[in-house]
Amino acid sequence: MSGFANAFYNTLVKRNSVYVTSIFAGAFAFSIGFDVGLTSLWDNWNKGKQWKDIRAKYVQDSDE
Amino acid sequence: MATALSFRKALTAPPTVRTLASGVPSAPLLNLAARGPAGHGHHEHGAVGPRSDTPAKFTGGLSLGTSGFTSRSFLNASPTGPAQQRLIHSSAVVKDAPQVPDFQPYEAKSKDNNRALSYFMIGSLGVLSASVAKSTVTEFLATMSASADVLALAKVEVELASIPEGKNAIIKWRGKPVFIRHRTQSEIDEARNTDWKGLRDPESDENRTKKPEWLVMLGVCTHLGCVPIGEAGDYGGWFCPCHGSHYDISGRIRKGPAPLNLEVPQYDFSEGDEKLVIG
Repeated sequence: MSGFANAFYNTLVKRNSVYVTSIFAGAFAFSIGFDVGLTSLWDNWNKGKQWKDIRAKYVQDSDE
Repeated sequence: MATALSFRKALTAPPTVRTLASGVPSAPLLNLAARGPAGHGHHEHGAVGPRSDTPAKFTGGLSLGTSGFTSRSFLNASPTGPAQQRLIHSSAVVKDAPQVPDFQPYEAKSKDNNRALSYFMIGSLGVLSASVAKSTVTEFLATMSASADVLALAKVEVELASIPEGKNAIIKWRGKPVFIRHRTQSEIDEARNTDWKGLRDPESDENRTKKPEWLVMLGVCTHLGCVPIGEAGDYGGWFCPCHGSHYDISGRIRKGPAPLNLEVPQYDFSEGDEKLVIG
């Protein structure tokens, strides 16, 4: 545990430039992950109610 | 030694014991070795002898000479007590803050873990707040962009099958005319084989069209905004009647006052190239 903590400190925190850069990179990854996660949660929660789920019942593609 | 640095001071002590006939008080002798009154001292109760609270002789003292009383004190007298500071003692240790309890059980077990956890929490807060700040800014900017219904109205669909080869179509898009020309093969060859690098606004025909047979551009003369006439002019393209600008079959300015080629709007082909969507 202490080794992990020291590895974290030495690789990410020790230099402030690395720390700030990793914070911004983390914010980028976090915002994408948060967006994807919440969207999939929403789609899962409203399964069968959204237009993309029931579109096949009402619209027949003209090619077929 | 100490005696070398003594100083003398003559005292004229006022006699208080006896008064002479002249009215002057007289005190010819003063017994400096007088005993303390029995039962009144604190130290040697009832002790007999000289007073114990008189200073030792070597520190100075009061003496009676011919010129009267003299008081001496030796400045560099050696200390009367033991010369060394007493270091061994049995009294309680004086603490800086004696009422503070012992916090040893509450202290961190590992300083490294504590440090890593602190920086991790700080970094997590940084990640969250950077993400919040970014989405705040982008959501605010998104409120300024056009809404979906406005964007839907800003598009025009054209059935390409209704335009025969070698014909022009003029449609209205966002209040402006748009020329759509279904070019013939000879027109395409002519547009592509022109040496475009020497033109006023050098632009290749490949850059101006997505498909060579369909030329889509805004029908607004780049000079002063008139609408050019199709299939006219010296170059077989468009001709602006207002001030005489000639455009070729790719819509490029070749002659006249206009500075730029006819503008190409954003467009796309959809549904298997049967429809053209402008906007």
